[in-house]
Amino acid sequence: MNRFSGTKLKQVNPHIPKYFVIVLIVSFILLVVCVIVSLVFGSKMVGFDEVIDGLFHPNTTSYDANIVRNRIPRTIFSLLCGVALGVSGALMQSVTRNPLADPSILGVNTGASLFVVIGIAFFNISSANQYIWLALVGAAFTTVIVFGIGSLGRNGATPIKLVLAGTATSAALSSFVTAILIPRSHTMEQFRFWQVGSVGSGSWDSITTFAPFLVTGVLIAILTAPALNAMALGDEAATGLGVRTGILRFASSLGAVLLCGAATALAGPIGFIGLLSTHVMRLVLGPDLRFVIPMSAISGAIILTLSDVAGRLIGSPGELEVGVVTAFIGAPLLITLAIRSKVSSL
Amino acid sequence: MKPEHVFEVDQIVAGYDHKTIIKEVNLVIPNNKISVIIGPNACGKSTLLKTMARLLKPASGEVVLDGKSIEKIPSKKLARTLGLLPQSPIVPEGISVADLVGRGRFPHQSLLSGWSKKDYEAVAEAMDIMNITKLANYHIDELSGGQRQRVWIAMALAQQTDILFLDEPTTFLDITYQVEILDLLTDLNHKYGTTIVMVLHDINLSARYAHNIFAMHSGKLMAEGKPSEVITSTLIKDIFGLNCQVIEDPVSGSPSVVPIGRHHINYS
Repeated sequence: MNRFSGTKLKQVNPHIPKYFVIVLIVSFILLVVCVIVSLVFGSKMVGFDEVIDGLFHPNTTSYDANIVRNRIPRTIFSLLCGVALGVSGALMQSVTRNPLADPSILGVNTGASLFVVIGIAFFNISSANQYIWLALVGAAFTTVIVFGIGSLGRNGATPIKLVLAGTATSAALSSFVTAILIPRSHTMEQFRFWQVGSVGSGSWDSITTFAPFLVTGVLIAILTAPALNAMALGDEAATGLGVRTGILRFASSLGAVLLCGAATALAGPIGFIGLLSTHVMRLVLGPDLRFVIPMSAISGAIILTLSDVAGRLIGSPGELEVGVVTAFIGAPLLITLAIRSKVSSL
Repeated sequence: MKPEHVFEVDQIVAGYDHKTIIKEVNLVIPNNKISVIIGPNACGKSTLLKTMARLLKPASGEVVLDGKSIEKIPSKKLARTLGLLPQSPIVPEGISVADLVGRGRFPHQSLLSGWSKKDYEAVAEAMDIMNITKLANYHIDELSGGQRQRVWIAMALAQQTDILFLDEPTTFLDITYQVEILDLLTDLNHKYGTTIVMVLHDINLSARYAHNIFAMHSGKLMAEGKPSEVITSTLIKDIFGLNCQVIEDPVSGSPSVVPIGRHHINYS
């Protein structure tokens, strides 16, 4: 064994992706840029001096410095939502072994929506603390149903069956949402704002409500990444490598549900972030999830925050909800991916 | 030589849903030897291999490794003794050769440990044995069928198990690559004493490379033993329903099946 010297080994085992360091540096620069533009731009633009005042000089009470202070929780909240949605997308794509999987494709978003609507319509629920539990239960409920339907028949829950089950369940659940909303104009009003997806309501309260779910979900993702790498080779090969695929699918899905359910509850269903962030990273870093998952978190945060800023600028003097912006960027990408990745071969 | 293991299949009944495919099979895998399971299509040879590799839970009976049912052995621990190369594993998009081979190290790594020196050595050694060290940075999509199969076997080798199961490792390969793969597996067996069990379609190559043959028909084990004892025209007629002559392979001296068919007369 000694004939393999350390340097030679590093050469033949490029386990750290080629562009990892560059990607890491660029991501952090972008992240800082994101935070700055998110604090500066909006229906009222503030100067850089005021940003510094707002951030570091708590005694300055100028109008602009206060605007900056108000934008701080919004910025943090949008970064965290981006992390949650990016990681959740990466997990779902791995669990279903489907490059197009996203919380919306597996119906998890719709399930969360349905439960929130039921809460608003029948139980007069209106606070984020209550939304989050309803949305989580809804997301979990949908996941169980989708996995249940998807596992029927021979070979268990194959990727293609999961996606079909997700799409069908999503269609059924959204018809329930419509049925509940149509006769109730008040619920409709309240639901509409939530449904489009906005991080504008992000406050310190929503951040503290969100944090435990975010931390748990991200931890699950990081811990299951090596096993998910093995499962990428197929269930049989993974079993041969000692992965218990049933337990792994359950754990990773739980992480995905926590992340996407909590983000959906607080910001409304924001689509495509999981798809966008993960694909950008897969493209430059390759398929190793130990790198793709953390980097999807960062790229998700960047994409969501920039989308939010774009929404504020485009919609000026009001604002355009971030859910609309991400759908606008995400839809063309989805089509490109569908063509490129030969979905039919699934 | 690898340590001694006792791998037994005890009264296995197995299948899918309500269809029984394997009907009460008993066998012991010879240690440090190459065993090949042969039989016609749908005779249950792949199902038997899958049951032995714990991909399929038997309806009754037990698969026993060193006196313990494999279902009771922690899955990662079992994966350090028993490796498996399935018939059609999935290639993740854009994966490199080194990354794929490295994934064989999974059972040797704990939840938080990174890559140890041992892991790098195992990967380098596996690639060296399979002669793919130069391909380390290539993408799998750029390789030929024979090279790909060598990469997959290297992945299973990096797992460093004493026992290795392979489900039709030569199917879909040209004859040159079939021989190349079987030669490499024989090297592995000679050099490290790895116990190899595989399903093969080609009876003549099986007879040449196997120390031990398991012949199956309709979910039952019909014969087992050395190729020279097992491969006879009577057995081939019984399990494949084929009239044939068995001659001596002029290269290896192992039995070789020459089929007869309807349009040719048996002159002997």
